[in-house]
Parts: sequence; structure tokens; C-alpha cells
Amino acid sequence: MITGPVLAIETSCDETAAAVVEGRVVRSSVVASQADLHAPYGGVVPEVAARHHIGTVNAVVDRALAEAGLRLADTAAVAVTRRPGLIGALLVGVATAKALAYAARKPLLMVDHLHGHVCASWLAPLALDPPFVSLIASGGHTRLDLVRDWRAPEPLGQTLDDAAGEAIDKGARLLGLPYPGGPALERLARDGDRDAFTFPVGLAGRPPGLDFSYAGVKTALLYRVRELGEAGTAERRADLAASYQEAVVRPLADRLMRAAERTGVTAVAIGGGVAANGRLRELVRAAAEARGLRVAIPDRALCTDNAAMIGAAAHFADPVPWPDYLALDAMATAPPGGIAA
Amino acid sequence: MLERADGGGRRVLEAAHHLLAAAGLEVGEIDRIVVGLGPGGFTGLRIGIATALALGQALSVPVEGASTLEALALGIADAGAGHPAPILAPATDARRREVFAAAYRVVPGGLEEVLAPAAWHPPDLAGALAGVGAAQGAAVLVAGDGARLPGLDHPGLSVLAPGSPAQRVRAVNLVRRVAQAGPRPVAPAYLRLPDAEENRLRRLTATGATP
Ligand SMILES: [Zn+2]
Repeated sequence: MITGPVLAIETSCDETAAAVVEGRVVRSSVVASQADLHAPYGGVVPEVAARHHIGTVNAVVDRALAEAGLRLADTAAVAVTRRPGLIGALLVGVATAKALAYAARKPLLMVDHLHGHVCASWLAPLALDPPFVSLIASGGHTRLDLVRDWRAPEPLGQTLDDAAGEAIDKGARLLGLPYPGGPALERLARDGDRDAFTFPVGLAGRPPGLDFSYAGVKTALLYRVRELGEAGTAERRADLAASYQEAVVRPLADRLMRAAERTGVTAVAIGGGVAANGRLRELVRAAAEARGLRVAIPDRALCTDNAAMIGAAAHFADPVPWPDYLALDAMATAPPGGIAA
Repeated sequence: MLERADGGGRRVLEAAHHLLAAAGLEVGEIDRIVVGLGPGGFTGLRIGIATALALGQALSVPVEGASTLEALALGIADAGAGHPAPILAPATDARRREVFAAAYRVVPGGLEEVLAPAAWHPPDLAGALAGVGAAQGAAVLVAGDGARLPGLDHPGLSVLAPGSPAQRVRAVNLVRRVAQAGPRPVAPAYLRLPDAEENRLRRLTATGATP
């Protein structure tokens, strides 16, 4: 395990991020979001993301070091997201991290992005310790893992089709909300009645398990929008948003509780972009408290993509000594099954 | 200085390390970095440029850019014996049956651009180059791995035989080019918009909107 400050870099999707993490303490965390750049396309464009990372990553690293009051030479190691993600975007971060580590003669730590989301709860002030059940929900992933050892989360369940964040983005688009849809949907839902409409919650009619399904819910919203017509939809937009958001986030909280019950753990944690959703945070907190479970809900900025979580996961990765990492590469996909440390 | 390494740029840092070892140098002894800006494959360009920028950042040394097509032109000029062609047109394979190409007049101490770098359909490039040659009253030599693409045969053009070492970009010529013309700001020369942007602009044009 690395001791001392770690410079971490994350460029797997549309955020260019760098952070300095020392032990469980985040000394700095800088995120340059590209959301505005992708808005005209209604979603993240991989080539646009990669082009932006290369113009941004060095300045973001400089800022993270400056805010931590350190020079690169003072760090103990460089960490970087190697997978999964947009390959062109990942490669900018990996090439940058490798060259920084090489020139500064530091070890390199290669981190799995999903492991980063899990490890966000390791950081102070939450400083969670295993065992616990982790829920990760984002635009690309929706999964439950049993964490008995930070290094090897054990998969319990995952989405069988769309990710929760994908369902939120698609729903937001159907309601005419601008990209990125998550925050806009949440704002609109605040003025609506979440019981106004019922949308099918995934996997209805199947024995209660720990998997998720979101393909049906967006189709149900599409039908309801068609039924209501343009004027009707405009009039009931807030109710539609609130009911739809509830249909997406409630199964996340329910299955997280079910997983805690089945595994007998006394703590739960959430992470990923959807974990920044206020309604999900509220549901998880209330359900956990009702069951007497400890609950770790990271700051919103540590739920959406960031590099501090990569610095956290780096503490559980094997350091690759200088210069043995020169040929290491980024990967678009993670190996099947678990989240690798 | 680095020659081309396999793997679309992914081995560039490894190659740099071996090169330094062969030269008996430590990475900390580098005092300036020159990087090829393209045009070329987007991913490879980004890996090369990200690597150069991060090395420069970590070592606090300047990173200077040079045009890959200009470096290629210098190499062709060196190998140009038997080709009395005052206008050189480096052309690299841009995939999608296109080439990245430009044209330069060889002048004392350097190159003078007579056709700006762009992605071309080979027949269009052949026509443009023949026009440049006729206007300047000079022969035009096309060379580079794009020169073998079909559609470049044109009575006004000669094509450098494939397999010549001059067909490849040499890193030493990037450095020479910076010495001749000064460094360019370090940013990839994509010469193409992202596909999603092309499509968006096409849709906007089709609907009569302004982008
Ligand atoms: Zn993420």
C-alpha cells in the first residue's frame, strides 16, 4: 500500500479530473466538466470528449497540485483510471499519468473506475469500513456488491439492460429537458406529485432478486407522454418527472436494503452519478435508519465522476514500480464479473 | 527523437525510454521536447501529444510542436535526388479512402506552403496539385504512405516509389522543422471534425438553421 500523497487522474468520460489524496484525506479535487460541450448532441460524444481532455488535463493537474500545496516531486505515486470508459478519453489520462510518473520517477497505480466509485466511501469523513453493501448507479452502470475486503468487491446484482442513469437521461429527454438530464429532472420533480402516475418497476412478476431492469420504465413514460398529448404532457410535466424519478430510484434503495438483509451486513453505501440524486439519497437514508443500518452517502461531488475516488481506490491497487508501467494500456471494458482492484 | 513505434502511438513512452537508455541519458536530462502535431490518426496523435505535454509538465521544460506533413516534406526533399521536383506534396493515409496532404515549394533553408494541409479525396488532391504545378510552372512529387491510394495518377504529377525511407515521417525532421520555422503551439492537427459534429452541421444545413 502506498503511503504519502497520491496524484490521481480521471478522464474516462466527460469530466477531466485530478486530485491529491493522502491516506483517507482529500487534499484537493478539481473537476473540469464538459457537459456544456456535449449538450448540442444530447449526450456524450466520445471524440469530442477525447479532444477536450487533451486541452485540459495538464491545467487540471497543475491546479490539483497547487491546491494541495505540493509539487509533483512531493507525491508518492501517480494513479489513473485505466478502465472502463471511452477508450479515446481514457488514453489521454493514461498517457498523461504514465509520462508524469515516468518523468518524476514515481510508481504508477492503475485503477478501475467502478472501484473508484465504491471507494468514495473509504474517504474521510465517511471513512467506512467493511463489511457493507455498495450500490453504484450511474449513466453506464447499476450494480450491487458485497464489500468484505476493499480490494475485492463481490457482485450481488446488476442491471439486465439499461443503467439507472441512462433511464434518467432518456426520461428527461422525453420530457423535453436539456442535457444533462439528471439535475434538470430532479429540479422539475420537486414541484410534482410522485404518486400521480405509476410506471412499471423493472422485473415485476419475477421473484424478488438483486438485479435491475430499466428498459420497461422509459417505454412506459413514452406511452404515457403519447397518451397525454403535447398539451397534456406540458401541463403534467412536473408530476410525470416526479413519478418517473420515483420509478427509477426507488428500486435502487429497495434492492440495496434487500441486499443488506440477505448478506447480514450492518452498513450500506451508495456511489455513482445517480447517487447525487436528492430523492435517492433521501430514500436510502430513511430506509437505512429505519433498519438501524449505518449509511455512507458521499458528498455529491464525490458521487459524480471525480479523481479523489480514483486516489482512494489507488490505495488498494498494486503499485507498479518505475518504469515497469511504460507498456501498460487503457481498456474500454472491465473484465466480466467483479470490480477488480 | 523518436522514430515511429508500432501500436498507434501506445508504445511511444516505452520507445522514448529505450531511446534515452541507448543514448546514455536520464529522463531528467531532457531540456526540450518536440512533438509531431499531425495530421494523423486521432488517437495516436493524442497519445503522442499527451505524452509530450506531461513530460514537459513534469520536467518543467518547453514542449514544441511541428507539422507532421512538413517533417515528411523535409525527408522527401533529402531523398529527392533524381526527382527534380521543386514542389513536394506529402500525403499520408487518412483512412476512409482519403489522404491528409499539403504541398510545399522547397526554398533555401526551408519550405514554403503552396497548398494548405487538409483531408482530400485522392482525385480532388490530384487535380489541385496539378493546378498548383501548372500555376508555378513546376513539377510536383507526391510521396508518403498516402501516395499509393488509387486516384492520384495524373499527368502533371509524379509519385515517389513506395518503400523509400523518405515515405516515413522521421522525428529528426520534426526537430529540423522547428529550427527552420519556429515551434507551433502544441495541439493536435485533426483536419477533420468529429463525426457527430459533421452530422449535426449537416442536419442544421438541411433544415436551413444556422449552426
Ligand atoms: Zn462514473
